[in-house]
Amino acid sequence: MIRLEGVTKAYRTTVGDHVVLDRIDAEFPEGVSVGVLGRNGAGKSTLLRILGAAEQPDAGKVVRKGRVSWPIGFAGGFNGSLTGEENCRFVARIYDADLDEVIESTRAFADIGEYFRMPVRTYSSGMRARLAFGLSMAIDFDTYLVDEVTAVGDTRFQEKCRKAFTERKERSSVIIVSHQLKTIREYASRYAVLRRGRLEMYDDIAEAERAYEANA
Amino acid sequence: MSTAASPTVASSFVTGLATQLRVIHAVALRETRTRFGAHQLGYLWAILEPLFWIGTFWGLFALAGREAPNGMPIVAFLATGVIPYEIAMKTADRCANAISGNKSLLFYPQVKTLDLVIARGTLEGATYGAIFLIILGGEALVTQHFVIDDVLLVCVGLGLGCLFGTSLGLVLCTLSVLSNSVERLRGPLFRPVFWMSGLFFTAESLPTNVRDFMLWNPVLHCVELVRDGWFASYHARHASIAYVLACIVVLLFAGLTLERVVRAKVEVT
Repeated sequence: MIRLEGVTKAYRTTVGDHVVLDRIDAEFPEGVSVGVLGRNGAGKSTLLRILGAAEQPDAGKVVRKGRVSWPIGFAGGFNGSLTGEENCRFVARIYDADLDEVIESTRAFADIGEYFRMPVRTYSSGMRARLAFGLSMAIDFDTYLVDEVTAVGDTRFQEKCRKAFTERKERSSVIIVSHQLKTIREYASRYAVLRRGRLEMYDDIAEAERAYEANA
Repeated sequence: MSTAASPTVASSFVTGLATQLRVIHAVALRETRTRFGAHQLGYLWAILEPLFWIGTFWGLFALAGREAPNGMPIVAFLATGVIPYEIAMKTADRCANAISGNKSLLFYPQVKTLDLVIARGTLEGATYGAIFLIILGGEALVTQHFVIDDVLLVCVGLGLGCLFGTSLGLVLCTLSVLSNSVERLRGPLFRPVFWMSGLFFTAESLPTNVRDFMLWNPVLHCVELVRDGWFASYHARHASIAYVLACIVVLLFAGLTLERVVRAKVEVT
């Protein structure tokens, strides 16, 4: 469960403060997967970073219950000069997980062959996504924060991601952000639209779609 | 990290501390790889830099026909200047870059700016501590003279240097979140310290008015303390542990306060 209470976040730019999240109140209930729709630049990634406590809001409060993952995507979280395996080792250490288990299960899931022992900077964005996704699956979280990662890989990988989440549906939920309705539909049972700094929740995907298309 | 039903202050402090130590350990191990590179040669480079300065000053001393003061052997005299200087200022430099070098790690909620700085400070301290042992151990083997006057004082000097560097680095690192110009100012601000830290002179040998000015530099105190501890023939009458400690406390206070202030402003990419 994650609850946002009056969460506000602005970034300083050369043309003044740009408010990305504007006094958002929302609750992501336990065991319910939520898909957040938003155009490019709507603040989806910022929202995920704040949900995952990678960044602090300027105002407001975030209440979390259970273990929340870091924002899983193809950007960030990895050091380019280290190999995939070394990055796994680091993450396993800070989450107090078994090193060998995490490395083995990530290697199996990511399925990137020899690249696993090569510096992450040599990876394509698809391979980064595979590594990030595999690694997050190797550590048990109650809530997974996913940043369009599944949209990157090929069909087979997308299928694999879906299967992995279906398998752990009982234990974990997903908060996924995307600009694609299709992605959201596959994972979520509740929906939200992020635009102009506000977050609106919908139970029905058709409603969410209407709201999303309306301000296209 | 566990979500105990009603954690007492003590137990949440313990779990918090355990998490922080785990994070610092993981970051330090990771930094070992990025600092020294994938090859063992990386460690060699770390030793070559102080050796280069020792060699340069040795050459200059030879050219000028000068000897080390107070009957100190020249190489040991220079090494006890260069390495304590590096343990302080290289640490400050590395810690000041802690965020920019590790930005991607802040993605993980349990990794904080402070952890990045502490990890770097620890790694630099250990690195230069080892370099100190290797270079001065090598010197002792060559000169067949191995008597340390006061081991504790040597450790105090090196330890204070590392702490001072880490605290200064913390201040610079947090300031760099607020303004980019801090990074540009660092070079010009650090350079004079190299010439003012007693790498090739002692505080004792300076004229009074110059010395009084130079003694504002805490790094000079650290160098003096190390030399006092290393050589039986040198007594650092002007070095003050209390002064260096005071500098560290002031910097730590400023750095930890700034860390609080900029915490929400660190942008993660």
